[in-house]
Amino acid sequence: MTDVTTSHECECGHTKNIFMPREAKIIRTSRPTASEKHITLQLADHSPLEFEPGQILEVGVMGYGEIPIGLASSPTRTHSFDIVVRTVGRVTTAINSKEVGDSLWIRGPLGNGFDLDALRGHDILIVAGGIGLCPTRSLIQYITDRRDEFGHFTLFYGARDPLQLLFTEDRFDWRSSPFVDYHETVDRADFTWTGNVGVIPQLFKKTTNIGPDTRVIVCGPPVMFRFVLSELDKLGVPHENVFVDLERRMKCGVGKCGHCQINDKYCCIDGPVFSVAETNELEEAI
Amino acid sequence: MGAFCLEERDFGPFVEALRQATRVVGPVAKGNKFVFDELASVEDLRLDYDVTILPPKKVFFPTRQEVVRFDAEAVTDCIDPVDTVLLGVHPYDMRGIDMTDLLFRERNEDWNYLAQREATTIVASNVRTVAPRAFWASMIEGRAPQGHDAMLTNIDGGYVLEVRTPRGEALLAYGNFREATLDEVEAAERVDLEAFTQCQEQLPYSAAAVAEKVREAFGNEELWDRLSKDCFGCGSCNIVCPTCYCFDVRDMWNIDQATGQRTRYWDACLTREFAAVTQAGGLKENFREHHQSRFRHRFMRKAAYQFEKLGGPACTGCGRCSAACTIDIADPVRVITAIMEA
Repeated sequence: MTDVTTSHECECGHTKNIFMPREAKIIRTSRPTASEKHITLQLADHSPLEFEPGQILEVGVMGYGEIPIGLASSPTRTHSFDIVVRTVGRVTTAINSKEVGDSLWIRGPLGNGFDLDALRGHDILIVAGGIGLCPTRSLIQYITDRRDEFGHFTLFYGARDPLQLLFTEDRFDWRSSPFVDYHETVDRADFTWTGNVGVIPQLFKKTTNIGPDTRVIVCGPPVMFRFVLSELDKLGVPHENVFVDLERRMKCGVGKCGHCQINDKYCCIDGPVFSVAETNELEEAI
Repeated sequence: MGAFCLEERDFGPFVEALRQATRVVGPVAKGNKFVFDELASVEDLRLDYDVTILPPKKVFFPTRQEVVRFDAEAVTDCIDPVDTVLLGVHPYDMRGIDMTDLLFRERNEDWNYLAQREATTIVASNVRTVAPRAFWASMIEGRAPQGHDAMLTNIDGGYVLEVRTPRGEALLAYGNFREATLDEVEAAERVDLEAFTQCQEQLPYSAAAVAEKVREAFGNEELWDRLSKDCFGCGSCNIVCPTCYCFDVRDMWNIDQATGQRTRYWDACLTREFAAVTQAGGLKENFREHHQSRFRHRFMRKAAYQFEKLGGPACTGCGRCSAACTIDIADPVRVITAIMEA
C-alpha cells in the first residue's frame, strides 16, 4: 500500500515526539524547609537550557511521572538551572528522593513567561506568596542581573510562618541590596521572628513607590490574588499592567491534554503568565 | 479525481484483496452494537451499521497509547505507525476526524497521533441506518468532511467510490472498478442526501448564534444547576465523543521493575479530579470543584471555546453522548435548546 510515513522524525533523525524528555543531572540540592527541596540541574549533554523567566518545565522521574513546575533561576545564569519542589504526592516524593549525581527527566521550557518587553524601563513590583516565590525568583534574578534595564524594583514576600520562608541566602542579600526594595512578612510569627506579621497586602503600607505605571507580578495561592488586586486598584494600577502566574493541573504541557484549560486558553501554552486584563475575560481563571 | 463503480459481487473480493495487502479497520458487530475493529474477514464488515460505540478516532488516538518507553539508562520513542485502511467512516465521524486532525496538529504537532493518521487511508461511507439519537444532519450542513481519501456509497446493484486523493486512487488497484456512469454518480448523490432527511433529532440554530448564547449563559448558575442536577460525573459523554481528546499520562513499570512505559489514557473533564492539583498536607485545589462547573465546561468547550479555531462547534451530531448518558441529561439537542430558549 502507501509508504508508511517517517515524518515524525526530523531529517537529523531526532524524534518529534512531544513527550520525549531530556536527561538533566542534579548538581546541587538543599532543603530550605521540611517539605521543599531546592534542586540545581544541568542538562546531561551540558548544553545550556534556554528559557525566559516565568516559563515552566515538565520535570519527572521515569516510572513515577511528571509535574509542571516554574523555573526558579534566571536564564542570565547559564551554567545551570533551579527548581524548587514541594513534596505533596507520588511524583514530587520521587523527585525529592533524588540526590546529587542522579538524573531527572525534563521537557521544556514550555509556555509563555513574563513579557520582558512590557516590563523593561518600568518600575516593578513582585508580590510572591509562599511557594510563589520560586517561579518569580527567575525574574527577580533577571532584574538584579540586568538592573539598569528596569526602574525602581520592589519585592513583597510572605509565608505562613518563619519555617516556611524560602531562599535564606537570597533574602539576606535582598535585605541589604541597593537594587531591590525588599519587604517580607509572615502570617503567624514564632519566638524567633522580629519582622512583619500579617498577610501580604499589609506590605503595601511599607512603600510609596508603587503607582499607576508600575508593572506588577503576582504569584501565590489563589486566595492572595483577590486581596492584592484590591490594593492595586486603590493605587490606580490598571489591570493591563498586572501579571499573574497561574497554577493548574497539567499532564502534557503542550496544549493537548485539556487539564489546564481555562476558558478558551491553555494555561500551559497560553500562560502560565497572563495579564489581569486577560484573566478578567476568562471565567474560572482566578 | 473521479468516480468509480464496483458491482455488488465484486465488493467482497475488493475488501479481501485490501485485507491481504494491509490492515483494514471497519465497523463490525459487537453484541447488538457496533465497533470499529480490525477486519478478520470480509463477512464481518457491517456497512449497514448505525453508529459505533466509540468513534473511529481511536485508530489514531487509542484509548491507551504508550508515548515513550524507559529503562535504567535511556528513554526511547515508540511512535510506530501501521499502514492501515480505515473503511466505512460515516460523514459525521469524518467531521470529527477533521477536527482532531486540526487539534493534534495546531501549535505543537503531536506525532503520536499524526504518524498513524498519515499512515491511514480513510474510506468514508454513506449512512444506511440512522441512529435513533443522531442529529448530524443539522451539524454537518455547510461543513463538509475534508480529510477522507475516498467516499463509498452503496447504490442499487453495487457501490460508487468517489476518489478524492492519490491515496484513494491507489485503492482502485485492489478491485474490479470501472468508471462510474453519470446515472450512478447521481444515484450515489441521492443516496447520500436521503440519509439527511432521516435524523430524528435536530438542532435548528446557527452555530454562531449558539456559540454566543452559550458563552453568555456562563454566569447563569440557576440554568447550569438545573441542567446538571442529576450528573454523577461518570464521563461517559466524554469517552464516546468524537471530538473529545483530553488524556491523562501515567507511568507504569513492567514486571521486571527495571523497564516501563509512559502511557496516555483517554480522560474525561466530567470526572471529579480532572482539574484538581495536589497540595501540601494531602489537600487538593480543584479548579472545577462542583459537578455543575464540570458539566458547564463540557458545553462551553463544545459550543463556544473551540468555535473560532474549528470554524464551528466541536460537535458532529453523532448522538453518542445522548445515548451513553445513563440518566439522559447529556443530549446536546436538549441542553442547547434549553440555553437558546432561556
